Amino acid sequence: MPESIKIVEKKIIPSEATMIIGLPDVGLVGLIATSFLISELKLEEIAYMDSDLLPPVIVLHDGLPKAPLRIYGNQNLIAVISELAVPSPAIYSIMRKIVDWAEEKKVKRIISMGGIPIENRQTIKEPKVFGAASDQKLIEMLNKNGVNLMKEGYIVGAQALSMRYSLSKNISSIAILSQSFYNYPDPQAAAIALKELSKISEIEIDVSKLLEKGEEIRLKARDIMKRTQQEMNKMQKSQEYDLPLYV
Amino acid sequence: MIEKKEKHSTPDILEKYLLESDDLSNELQEIECPEGPSWNIENCCLYALSNVFINPKEVIITADLPMVELETIKVEVNDENLIMISAKMKNKIKFSDFGIFHRNGEFSFLRCKEKVKENIDSKKLEISFKNGILEVRIPKSIHR
Repeated sequence: MPESIKIVEKKIIPSEATMIIGLPDVGLVGLIATSFLISELKLEEIAYMDSDLLPPVIVLHDGLPKAPLRIYGNQNLIAVISELAVPSPAIYSIMRKIVDWAEEKKVKRIISMGGIPIENRQTIKEPKVFGAASDQKLIEMLNKNGVNLMKEGYIVGAQALSMRYSLSKNISSIAILSQSFYNYPDPQAAAIALKELSKISEIEIDVSKLLEKGEEIRLKARDIMKRTQQEMNKMQKSQEYDLPLYV
Repeated sequence: MIEKKEKHSTPDILEKYLLESDDLSNELQEIECPEGPSWNIENCCLYALSNVFINPKEVIITADLPMVELETIKVEVNDENLIMISAKMKNKIKFSDFGIFHRNGEFSFLRCKEKVKENIDSKKLEISFKNGILEVRIPKSIHR
């Protein structure tokens, strides 16, 4: 049976927008950062993903059913989040579809937000953020704006695929990765990732509310963190600790 | 040092094999099936996320404990190497605080437990709390 995966558009989709992707991953950094950005900028739901590859789940918000993987936006920004841990076997098709759709909508840049696991995270007061980019020009831009570069290493999961598929379609792509807990929700890392995002975009966000709500978010995010960890284990996310070999 | 001789009789090998496959099946079940809700209404507790790390010298357990009163954190180790962590929350949390109105219940504690297979010296455990994370370090012991 052919796999069914489509993006259902609810509103006019802006073209030439920047796309931010925040799917559940290490420390839920991308998801926390992107959903905070959506609520602070009051972005509207403009589309959602419908796919047989996702579990048969809807999320109720204010009594109304919502698809777990939704797309929000305004005139120049598109933000993708999932309130569901994306099943590891589906991650390829889902990321391919998101990037194909981004190309169709003439997205000018994809920025995926996420965490990079660090063992002794609890001893670190202010996590560092690293950037990776799809081409030399973007690397120079990151450098110029004071973003630390992740020069060597592995990226595993949604961010890896967003970069891989963007490369093949010639869409500029950046990953913003904040040092974080591997499997504890990390709102502080998300706040710091958002600060770094403002260095390379026109997105200005006051993260103080996010930091204030940090403990509440950690309590509320336990279930999705647990399910995300199961999927991360299946996709060998721990490979991000490995040293690459290229002689 | 006297090393324990490995048992090589067929029943022993079979027993070892069965024990190993039991462990493996438990591990797989843990990965595949989440153990149910992350709360227990009867005990008024929410389950905290926790991890176990094992190095050659010690067993390290961490637990994410948001919104707890530091002075109420308790760590207990029973005879079966089950480490139980519990802490009272600063305020009672209700389902309605999470926007859930189709369930009733309130929670006063965060709890978690981890079982370790290693021989540990629970009398020498050390506890620290940094950035909302409880860390329990228990040295390994040679004999039980």
